[in-house]
Amino acid sequence: MADRPDLTVDLGRGLHLRSPVLVASGTFGYGFDAPQVDRGALGAIVSKGTTLRPREGNAPIRIAETPSGMLNAIGLQNPGVDHVARVYAPQWATWDLPVIVNVAGDSVDEYVAVATRLNVTGVAGLELNISCPNVESGLQFGVDPALAAEVTQAVRAVTELPLIVKLTPNVTDIVAVARAVENAGADAVSAINTYVGMAIDVRRRRPLISRGSGGLSGPAIKPLALHAVWQVAAEVHIPVIGVGGIMTADDALEFLLAGAAAVQLGTVNYVRPQAAAEIHDGIAAYLVQHGLPDIRALPIRPLSVLSHV
Amino acid sequence: MSVVVAPAVVVERSVPMAGAVELVLHHPPSAVAVAPGQFFQLAVSAPHTLLRRPYSAAWSDAASGRIGFIFNVVGAGSAWLAARDEGHELDLLGPLGRGFDLEGARPAICVAGGLGIAVFPGVVQALIARGRKVIVLQGARTAAQLLPAARFAGAQVQVSTDDDSAGHRGSVVTLFPPPFMGEDQGGGVDIFACGPTPMLTALIDVARRQEIPLSAIQVALETPMGCGIGTCLGCAAPRAVGGYFLTCQDGPCVRADRIAWDRITDAFHG
Repeated sequence: MADRPDLTVDLGRGLHLRSPVLVASGTFGYGFDAPQVDRGALGAIVSKGTTLRPREGNAPIRIAETPSGMLNAIGLQNPGVDHVARVYAPQWATWDLPVIVNVAGDSVDEYVAVATRLNVTGVAGLELNISCPNVESGLQFGVDPALAAEVTQAVRAVTELPLIVKLTPNVTDIVAVARAVENAGADAVSAINTYVGMAIDVRRRRPLISRGSGGLSGPAIKPLALHAVWQVAAEVHIPVIGVGGIMTADDALEFLLAGAAAVQLGTVNYVRPQAAAEIHDGIAAYLVQHGLPDIRALPIRPLSVLSHV
Repeated sequence: MSVVVAPAVVVERSVPMAGAVELVLHHPPSAVAVAPGQFFQLAVSAPHTLLRRPYSAAWSDAASGRIGFIFNVVGAGSAWLAARDEGHELDLLGPLGRGFDLEGARPAICVAGGLGIAVFPGVVQALIARGRKVIVLQGARTAAQLLPAARFAGAQVQVSTDDDSAGHRGSVVTLFPPPFMGEDQGGGVDIFACGPTPMLTALIDVARRQEIPLSAIQVALETPMGCGIGTCLGCAAPRAVGGYFLTCQDGPCVRADRIAWDRITDAFHG
């Protein structure tokens, strides 16, 4: 067995990553902050959710810690797609690390407009955010398989870029949505976005975050996220990117064993900037220790995805 | 000097005032790099906690490589930190954000309510070192919660307490503006403030009534904070021109005229 196992990932449509460790949307900005993170360990950066027009985001208070978790209701604060395409993308084009832009919108037309404007050098792929719980209508597309398919198909029609759809767990049947976006042309899915939750300040008698509810992330949701990945990976033929509460290499391995082709690190980026490198190296060490040639050998049950890559 | 994630050793722990803990860490790069008003993100390992805790450096000493933090025990994270013994290693991320702009020669007034005093030992020392006249106005609920005036060598200290146990009775803002401001009206003063949001908004009201320009006031803001490095966008504070700035990157020390005081949120946990 090689000392340096193959950690590369193929997410489809030419999106080959050197590492299965990505950073999740909203936890890494547009890749210009967080110099503490070792980029050599990363396969790709997924940008902050980007909309057609700049958004100021929600009024404070936007975040709160909960047991082993964090609630956020940032409200898609972002500079708008034109700024991203004009100012950020040319800089990304000089990096050796692909940047996938997370795309958000209020309507099919907005998703299409944003995706169209991202057909520029420097953008390695799109992640459709049909699962933001923190804006009006943010979840509308993600909870309805037909609408999820409609927006996926509409974006598919205007871009040749690799297209990932980020699923919400705030549904009765996540597999139905995953199948719908697969059939509509998605190259991969990310599972999952945050769970809607809330916390109340009992002393002040008001919700801890101003919007009332927010998206729950962190280790608190990891078993839930893992189960969603387990379900989805068994039922779709496209790669599943596992995300939700990963803090350690073992956490990441659980997702890869459950059938994920890659993982995204989210909240851990706020806590331990060194986590990306530790997780990358931990996965490599695990493969060596278990005599496995690459991460495609990890899923613990036969998966349709194996024949895809 | 860039921001580092590094282990720092606790070399001293004490109780500087009732309810508060002062941890002194040995970490020469941070002690050299930090500017008064900047903060660090301290990792905590209390059960079920997750995020780092943001604390302004209370003071630092480049020569000895020491850096001090003063905080109240308000929850599981601060309780865990308060229980660290000498020799314990803490994971430190920083220094982060913008400190106070200490340049200039005008007299300086430091206004602190409650735990807001925690940022001022280093600020006052730096102002004195620049040859500036300094008045510290410190308010607390009760006398035991005042940081001793000896911590502000070279400055004139005036105090207030809610229960009348020391100094003037009432909010620290009732001490503002101090009488000497009359002498210096021609040249003006610089005001540095930190404390609960109601205290800060009261200070701003007084300043407006006295026609003190808000640009002469710098505040050290406290907001809930996730990452501390500009990626989570969780520490937004309302900007005077609309929208929000990030406390972690554009602050925590901000000129008061940049803040939309009518939209500020009371989020102080001190």
